[in-house]
Amino acid sequence: MNDTYPQVLFKNRHPDRIATFEEYRAGGGYQALADVIARWTPAAVREIVLNAALLGRGGAAFPAGRKMMTIAEDAPHPRYVVCNADEMEPGTFKDRVLIHADPHLLIEGIILAAWSVQADRGIIFIRPEYENAARILEREIGIAGEHGYLGRDILGTGYSFEIVVHRSAGRYICGEVTAQINALMGKRANPKQPPPYLTQQGLWERPTLVHNVETFACLPHIVQNGADWFKSLARTAAGAGTKIFGISGKVKQPGCYELPIGIRLSEIIENCAGGMLDGSEFKACLPGGASTGFLPRQHYHVEMDFDALKKVGNRLGTGAIMVFDHKTCLVAATLNLMEFFARESCGWCTPCREGLPYIRELLARIEAGDGEPDFIPRLEEMKVHLYRSYCAFAPGAAAPLESLLAHFKDELQEHIRERRCPFNKEPGRGSAELVKPRFIA
Amino acid sequence: MPKLIIDDREIEVATGTKVIEAAAQLGISIPRFCYHPALGSVGACRVCAVKVLEGPAKGIQMSCMLEAVDGMQVSTADREAVEFRRYVIEWLMMNHPHDCPVCDEGGHCLLQDMTVSGGHGLRRFPGKKRTYPDQDLGPLVQHEMNRCIHCYRCARFYQQFCGYRDLGVLGIGNRTYFGRTAGGRLESPFSGNLSDICPTGVFTDKPSRFIGRRWDYQRTPTVCIHCSLGCHAVTSVRYRQVARQEARMSAAVNGWFLCDRGRYGFFYASRADRPRQAAIKGETAGMEEALAHARSRLEALAPAAVAVIGSPRSSTEVLALTERAARLRGWRGPAFFADVGAALKVKAAVSRLEAGLAVSLGEIDQADFILIVGADPINEAPMLALALRQAAQKGAGVWVVDPRPVSLPFEFAHIPTAPKALGAVLGRLLRKSIEPAGLDGPAARFHASLPGDPASGPELPARAAELLAASRRPIIVCGTGIVAAEWVELAADAALLLRAAQKKAGLFYVLAEANAFAAGLLTQLDSTTDRVLKAAAEGDIQALVLVENDPFATFPDRRLLEQALARIELLIVLDYLDTPASRRAHVFLPTQTLYESGGIFINQEGRVQYSAAAFAGGTPVRETGGRDHPPRVYGSGLPGAAPQPAGQLVARLAGEEIPIDIRAQREYFSEQASRLAGLPDTERLPPDGLRLALRNISAERFKSMLPPVPAAESDDIEIILTERTFGTEELSTYSACLETLEDETFAGVSRQDAEALGIRDGDRIAIRTENGAVELAARVCDNMAAGAMMIPRLRRLPWQTLGKSIRRRDIRKA
Repeated sequence: MNDTYPQVLFKNRHPDRIATFEEYRAGGGYQALADVIARWTPAAVREIVLNAALLGRGGAAFPAGRKMMTIAEDAPHPRYVVCNADEMEPGTFKDRVLIHADPHLLIEGIILAAWSVQADRGIIFIRPEYENAARILEREIGIAGEHGYLGRDILGTGYSFEIVVHRSAGRYICGEVTAQINALMGKRANPKQPPPYLTQQGLWERPTLVHNVETFACLPHIVQNGADWFKSLARTAAGAGTKIFGISGKVKQPGCYELPIGIRLSEIIENCAGGMLDGSEFKACLPGGASTGFLPRQHYHVEMDFDALKKVGNRLGTGAIMVFDHKTCLVAATLNLMEFFARESCGWCTPCREGLPYIRELLARIEAGDGEPDFIPRLEEMKVHLYRSYCAFAPGAAAPLESLLAHFKDELQEHIRERRCPFNKEPGRGSAELVKPRFIA
Repeated sequence: MPKLIIDDREIEVATGTKVIEAAAQLGISIPRFCYHPALGSVGACRVCAVKVLEGPAKGIQMSCMLEAVDGMQVSTADREAVEFRRYVIEWLMMNHPHDCPVCDEGGHCLLQDMTVSGGHGLRRFPGKKRTYPDQDLGPLVQHEMNRCIHCYRCARFYQQFCGYRDLGVLGIGNRTYFGRTAGGRLESPFSGNLSDICPTGVFTDKPSRFIGRRWDYQRTPTVCIHCSLGCHAVTSVRYRQVARQEARMSAAVNGWFLCDRGRYGFFYASRADRPRQAAIKGETAGMEEALAHARSRLEALAPAAVAVIGSPRSSTEVLALTERAARLRGWRGPAFFADVGAALKVKAAVSRLEAGLAVSLGEIDQADFILIVGADPINEAPMLALALRQAAQKGAGVWVVDPRPVSLPFEFAHIPTAPKALGAVLGRLLRKSIEPAGLDGPAARFHASLPGDPASGPELPARAAELLAASRRPIIVCGTGIVAAEWVELAADAALLLRAAQKKAGLFYVLAEANAFAAGLLTQLDSTTDRVLKAAAEGDIQALVLVENDPFATFPDRRLLEQALARIELLIVLDYLDTPASRRAHVFLPTQTLYESGGIFINQEGRVQYSAAAFAGGTPVRETGGRDHPPRVYGSGLPGAAPQPAGQLVARLAGEEIPIDIRAQREYFSEQASRLAGLPDTERLPPDGLRLALRNISAERFKSMLPPVPAAESDDIEIILTERTFGTEELSTYSACLETLEDETFAGVSRQDAEALGIRDGDRIAIRTENGAVELAARVCDNMAAGAMMIPRLRRLPWQTLGKSIRRRDIRKA
């Protein structure tokens, strides 16, 4: 399969171990940094990233170059670069695989980004469950430093930059950049609406550039091979680069694959993931993690690109594809996701803190055969109101519910009508500990 | 200035105004929970949603986060916005218990109002309610977390506004918890405001629980008299019991809040042991009988053998009528201050506070540099500390020159300075930071007279002088407790010098008691308590009339007091407290508290404020009713209503009948009122009070002299008597709920002295005095000046026996 698809981010990937510093360098690693730092202006790096049309790989797809451009030449120091390795989007595991495959690619990417905005200090904010990855990074950062790529006076140019690995205390909301910056400062991990923007006043009120792991990893290749080359990697005209897709669910070979942006969903499932499990039919998938919507069968051949998915009312998100078959109850799946979102809400604003548990309660009752017909209009109303929350968390949580209502309403109605889950052989249990609402009117 | 349209009405607002405020200016009240004018906008609750029809971001927006811009069109009644707000209420009510009937917030609960006005009448949510464990937060604040709607106001107030960290946010999601990591007494002396800012009943006033609903209460605008700031409060009375006190918004004085001493200090008014009947030699007597008895005994004495002692805790009416009575009869006094030193300081502050220099408490936060000389805000006038914090938050540098280990809830710099050297440090700082070039006349001469840095000894921090030099709006805050009168004058000249140096400088004095300003205007320097008591001890005075004064609590020389009381024939006490003095009175006449009589108080910046009478007086029904309601015994009179305003009683003692209505009493003290800088009529006082027409006497300017710092002529340790937030202010020590908050008795010692004396922190030490040994714990302080010992005027500590200084050899480890 690797012959079919050009491997860029995974070119040094071994099935059983990480790529060493020497292997990374043998493959042209750190050449981009050496070139840039010797001959390029920081602005030139920012420009090539902008021209490469690299969209942020953490899920929000913000143009990485444009973000880098917003740090003014005369912005105050110290400036910070933060690598968001708090990979907690359900179904998503690409950053972990990437770090375990080729840690120096990430390290070089961070240094390049730092140099392009003349940052003074880098922080890798990593989720606590990734302790192995954190240790790998700490070790490899040390090795990079020993070879003069990090620390004081990098490669004799007078530029100094260091990276520390910061383990998160945990929580999904820490992946939200403004909440992450608050967490780094020892505050509660509540998001903070701009302005000021992080690139103006971020960590300790200093300019701060935050990118996802995969975004950083693209930088050495863009710098080395050019913007046009990077764009040409994609299958779609508007798209650029490759994307690491993590595929899971009812397929034969779940895993992490680097594939061109714009590849069709059907091709990923059939060519890379070995097709659906025997006896399973594709029913829907979440194309980019838990905060994207269910993509129904009619979009089975959709091009996996930001624009193409937007056109069908969905998002590429993190590129974590979760595949559901015809035997899976999507009400139960949504309930499962809603459990997660309700638990992980930071508790700052009302729609998220209270609205999500409300939705979870209604879904739980429907799934348990205890639903009422008026639950559906209430879910319809609340999914809209979730967009009026403080940050993007609740709108993300709304996505699966929204698509469930849009494409699988009959499934919901069947639950309520039959007072049981149609996918469950058992008769509807109701819910022993839940009290049925009785209105005295 | 942007012009916008809200609900079809146009309004022009200041740039930067949020839509929620712009709407308020039109009289449109947009629902809110997390938004609070003092705490600002954070966009958490989402209940202030409106629809933007025209503007930079159309659609549903939060009006607290949305800046009003030109051409904006906003609808608050849009169907989509109303529908969303209705959902917000429903979400908040999912878990809110329906315990309104037993909740103390019921009746003035913002959540109740919003639930009803938002139309959420029926519960649709089929699930269970969330429950939380509650915490014991100490004697003042009741915690009931199940009621929480997570508006974050409490944590934002407690941490950001006040600077305390022991209450905050824990947990996430819909388990988010507002409290402490473990139960325990709240550390902030502003904790009571939690009950005001909480939009529902999570935090309520613990001492006022289960007494009444807001509509049951007689609610009256009053002025707090537990320090000299004169913060605004609302007092609630029910069944003749003063039950609750809340902050009353005042932009000029306290803003939205009140300190815990002010908020909970009022319980003295309804104490069960409050003396409500006149007494002759300890035997209950009728008011008229006792008055007649007192009068006849006074008349038997030569006027010069009678002396009157009042106190700055009395209202201006009481002070003025006391003065008038003394003059009318030729009695000595009245004395309002303990000694000449104390009187001089207040007189200096009162005469030097020029109209152009005086700043109000509400203006403190506009300063960019604040120099505090000889004042301990958190202990002497807590709300000042809160105002200082707001200035510091906006970037003002705050520097404290004080011998004591002053602590404030924000970052500030402290120059520990011996009391004798306070003036010299201030003088040096001024000299260092002001260029003489631009000065002329008296200002230049004054500048030239200021001391430079001495050849030896520690240098002043250069940073302080730099900041003062760079400041545009500096404020000098000067205490009157531990400083000498000269420093009070110097502070005024310092502010004038800064003015001469083209700075918009301000002056803020902290006085010792609520009405010290009025007492300072009325007092005569030859009539002070110590002189009166000396004369009594020597037999020159046979009768003492104490008007709302307990010298056992306030006078620093217990021996002299005892000598005087042993010698006199007649002690007449007029008071509303059960004090050691009132228990020893030959004739006791009960007086009314401020809540019954009302009265004018003049705060430390010369602001005249009227505190209205909250009720007619009388013993609380709780006591007279034998715990039954309605009471089983009926009578035509008001039980326990014998107390009269002290001014009335003292006039009658002097043989003059005056009207009981204090507003009508005014014509009786017109002469005194003219000495009160033309005291305005009560009726003419605006809600924020009115600053007295302060004098601008240029002849007094730049006359303060800096006596040279005496070279250590003695090795004795100077005693610095100091206030604590709780336990030293007289009235609030009669408030039972504050008792457990009082400090343990202690003596503060600098590390240098402690080492020399061989004392470690926490050691019990014995101080030998003429009156026997005093034993207490040593508190060794790093940020304290050497050569001084800090003694709090706590009532459990016999500080009146310690004198002014102690020989080192009289201090031993116990």
